[in-house]
Amino acid sequence: MARTAVYRRDEKRAYWAMVLPAFILYLFVMAFPIVISIILSLSNFNGGKMFGGEHWRITGFQQYAKLVADPQFWLALKNNVYIVLVSVFGQLPLGFVFAYLIYRRIVRFGDFWQGVLYMPAIISVIVLGIMWNMIFAPSGLIADIMNKWYASAFGHKLDAILRAAGGLNITDAFVHRVVDASDPVALQIFHDPFTELKDIIVAYTPGQLDVFRSDMVNLLSHKWSPDFLSKADVAMIPIMFVTLWCWTGLYLILFLANMQKIDVAIIEAARIDGAGEGQVMGHIVLPSLSGVIVNAAILCISGSLNSFALIWAMTGGGPARVTEVLSIYMYTNAFHGAPHYPLANAIALSIVVFSFILIGLTKLVEKRYGGRE
Amino acid sequence: MRDAVRMTYGRIAGALGKTLAYLVMGVFAFMTVSPIIWLLVNSFKSNAEYRLSKLALPHDWAWVNYPGAWRIGEFDKLIGNSVIYTLGASLGIIIFSLLAGFAFAKIRSRATAPIYGSFVIGILLSIQSLMVPLFIEVSQLDKLLGDLFQALHLMKAADFHLFYNNRVGVLLVYIGSGLPVAIYLATEYIKSIPDALVEAARIDGAGYFAIFRGIILPMSVPIATTVAILNITGLWNEFALINILVSKTSLQSLPLGILRFSGTMMADYGKQFAALAIGMLPLLIFYLVFRRQITKGVAAGAIKG
Repeated sequence: MARTAVYRRDEKRAYWAMVLPAFILYLFVMAFPIVISIILSLSNFNGGKMFGGEHWRITGFQQYAKLVADPQFWLALKNNVYIVLVSVFGQLPLGFVFAYLIYRRIVRFGDFWQGVLYMPAIISVIVLGIMWNMIFAPSGLIADIMNKWYASAFGHKLDAILRAAGGLNITDAFVHRVVDASDPVALQIFHDPFTELKDIIVAYTPGQLDVFRSDMVNLLSHKWSPDFLSKADVAMIPIMFVTLWCWTGLYLILFLANMQKIDVAIIEAARIDGAGEGQVMGHIVLPSLSGVIVNAAILCISGSLNSFALIWAMTGGGPARVTEVLSIYMYTNAFHGAPHYPLANAIALSIVVFSFILIGLTKLVEKRYGGRE
Repeated sequence: MRDAVRMTYGRIAGALGKTLAYLVMGVFAFMTVSPIIWLLVNSFKSNAEYRLSKLALPHDWAWVNYPGAWRIGEFDKLIGNSVIYTLGASLGIIIFSLLAGFAFAKIRSRATAPIYGSFVIGILLSIQSLMVPLFIEVSQLDKLLGDLFQALHLMKAADFHLFYNNRVGVLLVYIGSGLPVAIYLATEYIKSIPDALVEAARIDGAGYFAIFRGIILPMSVPIATTVAILNITGLWNEFALINILVSKTSLQSLPLGILRFSGTMMADYGKQFAALAIGMLPLLIFYLVFRRQITKGVAAGAIKG
């Protein structure tokens, strides 16, 4: 009897020695912050010392009232919903289709495709965010390509006009043709395009043909300035595109690994019975992956609701805060300018609540329609 | 005859489908790789050349971008810090999760249900959403401990930092944030180790820590590898948390340093691209070497709920 008591005590001691370090760290990093955010979101604490310093007290739900009244909150929420939607209804289906193509060997070299498509997920989103910003920026890659194309198109028109005139023979008809070929927006710098342009053109001597040509291209060709990242209603599009670009490979890997667990004999039998690829996908592969898909959806929702670093590196929430999502909205309230800790904590808590609601809904959908494994 | 016609149609449809599949796959693979290659190519252009053309291959290969960016960005320090954070935290996560997983799986206790349950709920939480309260927590703890040490006449309160701007703080936060998933994986894995092995050792008089070292640890190498891979790739790229925990440049990790670099070197594109390339190459190489293990680990560790 005494032996078992010692045995039990020994067991207990070992149990707690093994569990406590992990549990304390977990409380420190996850549980306490939640408690803190609950308390502070109901208070007026705004920095300084929480204990034995500044006076602060519980003031009630006014932070939440402020949150609901702030249009920026609704914008951030809307942007966040876009990210969640493109993730759940973009990354997941695409990842599934790619995984299926590889799994059924509809495309060969599956290993290669998988390796390539997962690559962005392994690179720091900070690096990728800066990279994509350089592609979409007003002076970035896309603008460069577009403007080179417009310039060369206008150059060709100019060449045709010059050929018709037999060189730099400046007549009224010649100037008219140049004006007609020019981009209307570029011509807006003139009050009277024809006369003003004629004044400019007559200054060139026939020997200056190349200079004339390049000057005219610079002056009169269409200039395309991308407002991707600067216009409120389209600024989220590049971010959504990059979100899709970045993580589709993750779901490809996830789905493929689970497809490979399906009993091949079932699919072989179905194929012999004359089932097409569509039927195999719809009736065998999709149902046997329903649990995995739900898990992936939860992963996806929770990840995209918390997306921060990629957008932070790409736009910093700008321009003029139009690409802020909830986490950036929280960050700017806490760390930019005067701190608004109570409001920031209210935002933190709402993000947590939103994720639990969305995850709960996903589980509900699974219960209702899924679970036929 | 009819069968033959049907077969031909089937074959044509199959060929069409295959072509379409390759086309879609090819387009996506191209879209995935081309920006990354574009970045690498531009890292060899001088600033003037980049301004002239953003798409063309470099005329003169500006290798100097790399040493330049390395020196200005202090990449030796950044990479050193990243290695410390990544390996230190991964090691901590592995040890703590295996220990706790062993206790949850093999020692019966009424505490297991609530504590293990709380870890599983923690999987659903994304810690980025808690960065503001976490920042307040660590700075308040520093202040409290500082006041305590000042009262004991050990040091001035303002000088004390255990969590904020301290590698220890970063490591503790990283370990804590990685634990839920790791503990879930470790517990489920250790559950599959036969109880009889543990019981036999107990009857032979072995203590639990001896059993952990002698039986559990060697048998848990596969799950430890999975946990290591998940955390190495995740922590190397981690940004949101270290961004609020560290402001000193000497303690910054690679992602923080790269963002700072790109903010201050706006005008020098060549070096900027070189810095981005330096930032992505370590993990890209890691990926090329351990691709199979990473793919397997990611598939096994992608759990939420």
